[in-house]
Amino acid sequence: MSTRHRRLPIMCLRRIAVTALVTTTLTIGGAAPAMAYAPVNIVHTENVQAGPYGVTVGFSVWPIRAMQSLDFTFMPDGGIAGKSGTLIITGPGVQPDERSTPLVRHPRKPDAWGLDVQAFNAPGTYSFEFVINGPQGQGRGTLSDVTILNQPGPPLPLSWTIGLLPFIALVVFITVAWRRTKPGREPLTV
Amino acid sequence: MDIPVARVPSGRVRDRTPHVDAAIAGPAGAYAVLLGAAISTVGISWDVEWHKDVGPDTFFTLPHLVLYSGSALAGIASLAMVLLSTSMQRAGRPVSPWMGGTPVRVFGGIFTAPLGYLVSGIGAASFLIYGLLDLVWHSIYGFDAVLSTPSHVALFLSISITMIGTVIVFAGAREQRWGRIGVVLAIPILMLFAPIPVNALNNFTLPVNPVVVGIVLFSPLLLLIGAGVLQRAGAAVAIAVTLGTLQAALWWFSPWAAKVYATSVGLPLRDGLIPSPPRLPGGAPMFLIVAAVAVEVLFWLSRTRGLDARKMMLLAGVLTGLIVGLTLPVQQSLTDPTSPLSSTDVVILGLLGMPLGALAGFLAARFTVMLHALAPVRKEL
Repeated sequence: MSTRHRRLPIMCLRRIAVTALVTTTLTIGGAAPAMAYAPVNIVHTENVQAGPYGVTVGFSVWPIRAMQSLDFTFMPDGGIAGKSGTLIITGPGVQPDERSTPLVRHPRKPDAWGLDVQAFNAPGTYSFEFVINGPQGQGRGTLSDVTILNQPGPPLPLSWTIGLLPFIALVVFITVAWRRTKPGREPLTV
Repeated sequence: MDIPVARVPSGRVRDRTPHVDAAIAGPAGAYAVLLGAAISTVGISWDVEWHKDVGPDTFFTLPHLVLYSGSALAGIASLAMVLLSTSMQRAGRPVSPWMGGTPVRVFGGIFTAPLGYLVSGIGAASFLIYGLLDLVWHSIYGFDAVLSTPSHVALFLSISITMIGTVIVFAGAREQRWGRIGVVLAIPILMLFAPIPVNALNNFTLPVNPVVVGIVLFSPLLLLIGAGVLQRAGAAVAIAVTLGTLQAALWWFSPWAAKVYATSVGLPLRDGLIPSPPRLPGGAPMFLIVAAVAVEVLFWLSRTRGLDARKMMLLAGVLTGLIVGLTLPVQQSLTDPTSPLSSTDVVILGLLGMPLGALAGFLAARFTVMLHALAPVRKEL
């Protein structure tokens, strides 16, 4: 092969390298300014009476579907100042260690209690029980019969098959390398 | 375009095509890929702490960008090394195994890819492709901050593949000093990261946390592979010390970075945070150094008394699995004030540690032979 013919593929390879570098730099560089956090956009509310305290429960997605994460807000009448409480969730997709949690401020809506990007893995009927302590003593109330519909999107087995392709590729690679090198028969020194 | 050539006094034609010195490009490419793997590890540890301590997520958070830039760097470096090897091969210059392991012909010989860079590059490309799938997933399901979704597991598997490629790259260069140092750095990085994809199994109700099982399997496996590849006294201890150093650095950095980033974007820390160790470094076995000393003794016996290396590897695996299994609950109770020492956990993990360690020893012996085959050590004349 002449040097002229050899040079052309090398130039081509360099172009590929430069294109990859520029594309990646622009992708990452261009992404940097987009770091604002979306506000909590409540699209549906329900009211619960927890003893003397009225609580407005807000949902950022309605109706709720299994595995789909959403923001919940819990706003007692008169605000959260001077109040504390516990949220007890029951339903088919709630793990025992996740049932009871203290009511804490929502990270993106700090004037209300809430749950951020919370998803429930199984469809069914859920309830949200509130135990609130405040200036008027303790109050307890439950939002019952919250229906969570079936998951959106493609069937989970399909998603997992696609997601596990790198693992399958790794197993195939190791199997091929194993068959070629026959490591069980070769001597080993450490 | 003509290629400039020069006629040397002997009459041979010398190619004046500018070419990169392989002695510089070899370590430069390898450490660039390693740096990418390290950046990915920092990014995931930071991201986990961000979700735990602060919360909000978009696709373009700073920890995500760090995570992605790690794979981008590893991918670009891998591609550059494949192109360099291809150009060397086309120029008739030999591609040494320490340039990333055995050269492999790809796409019918269009490319000559050193095996290590081929693996690390495929991992990086897979990561970027699955990043798009992750965007699709989040557009359907929202920004769930959990590790065990298909798209997240695919991303973690892709990074793990890049890290495996990094180990292959440095194993191929184990005759070089920079190659041996690279093995000591690459193995602990993979040791930190490898249990993360096991989160996929958290979708099942299992009697034992699968990630802990992953730690008990992968720690002895990788410790033995690293020590076996290097074939030197002190290698296992060096790997354990490096893991401890990385663990300490991430233990400090990850929660600190989450807080600083939260402050810089005006977000508060979550209310009611319970003090707990940072997740990623908190799971690394901090008593691995004890097992490393045991491995050193067993490998020394193999070298000096001629004991069967495979049996020593198997025994070392059982011992390491047992030590890691027994000490993980102790570590948990020492570092997490909300987690008292459970004798049941100690017994279960100790019992699990032995068969998992035996499996690790069995596999490590074979993987070590495979990695040795990448670049056979030259016999002294």
